[in-house]
Amino acid sequence: MTEDAEQPVVEAEGSAAESSDGPETEAAGVSRRKLLIGSVGVMSGAIAAGVGVPAIFYVAGPAQEQGGEQEWIRLGSVSSVELGAQTLMKATVERRAGYLTTTEELSVFVSTENGSDFVALSNICTHLGCRVRWVDEQDGFFCPCHNAVFGPDGSVQTGPPPRPLDRFETKVEDGQIFIRKT
Amino acid sequence: MVSKLGDWLNERTGWRATYTAVFLRKIPKINWAYTLGSATLFAMVIQIVTGILLTLYYVPEPQQAYASVSYITNELPFGWLIRGLHHWGASAMVLLVVLHMVRVIIYGAYKYPREFTWITGVALLLLTFSFGFTGYLLPWDQRAYWATVVGTQIGEVTPIVGDTLRAVMLGGEEISGLTLSRFYGAHVWVLPSVLLLLVGIHLYLVIRNGITSVPKRGE
Repeated sequence: MTEDAEQPVVEAEGSAAESSDGPETEAAGVSRRKLLIGSVGVMSGAIAAGVGVPAIFYVAGPAQEQGGEQEWIRLGSVSSVELGAQTLMKATVERRAGYLTTTEELSVFVSTENGSDFVALSNICTHLGCRVRWVDEQDGFFCPCHNAVFGPDGSVQTGPPPRPLDRFETKVEDGQIFIRKT
Repeated sequence: MVSKLGDWLNERTGWRATYTAVFLRKIPKINWAYTLGSATLFAMVIQIVTGILLTLYYVPEPQQAYASVSYITNELPFGWLIRGLHHWGASAMVLLVVLHMVRVIIYGAYKYPREFTWITGVALLLLTFSFGFTGYLLPWDQRAYWATVVGTQIGEVTPIVGDTLRAVMLGGEEISGLTLSRFYGAHVWVLPSVLLLLVGIHLYLVIRNGITSVPKRGE
């Protein structure tokens, strides 16, 4: 810092009035000014990355949280499911979001043809997430948002949904129906 | 390529003139003490960035405030870093503004024509303290609570308006959820708005008036 005390500390480039002597050049052809500007740039970049990269992980944090192994959820008694009809069954599930645990109601359409094999369909439309309801006259699930209709097996009959209604894995234990996300 | 883009932009915005005025302006021969203002500015930028990041998770509500801070610190990836930077950055801010002020006093840099720069600087010092005071309550732990009890009782000894002042600060007679939400609102909206305005004026004046040289013996 001391050896060039005679030099102007800052040369205003482009202000023609004062540009008596050009930028000092060293053997390598890189001026002192360019080197300093460059190092300021590198340091700024390093600091920005030092905060910026952790910030990306920080912001994306909750999205990384895994629910872990899916648990069996008890829906209710087998006897409440009518043969050959869609029965809407509800269960409350706990959902952990960050430091908060909330309870959420899960609605599932359960049907059976023979009383022992059960089909559990989610009531969430695969198009944009509205809730579907069973309509007897149409023999299908109707979504009020965009008039989509799903068949009794969850297949898309009409409308925009990209795939059939989601199915849960089912099991029966002690006369109770359990479902699990697949 | 980059310089062509720079030319294109310069023709339409004249940014080079501003760049020259801000970064390539003439300054006298000075020393490291003159970097304290820039250091404060840097700390402020860190506080703004980390503060904004903290608001993504922090909830200013009595049931959730502590839990959300704990979540940030212990569970989120790099949450400890973001909060740590904000926490220690706050202390750094206070330290740096005070040192910056001491330098200005010692070198007599508050004198004509820079009195108004000094006045905005004093306002910025008080703002920094206000940031510290309002931010201190937000973790909503014992230390935060009792510091705010003490702080607002200090405010209470103000002649005539003391009682009213304390009640307005707390949003009632006691510290409550109302205190927490108003401290939060002050900390992230009111104070930053005033801060940015004043920093803008302060920096404009520093550039417009130029900086003082180190006083010589007999000056």
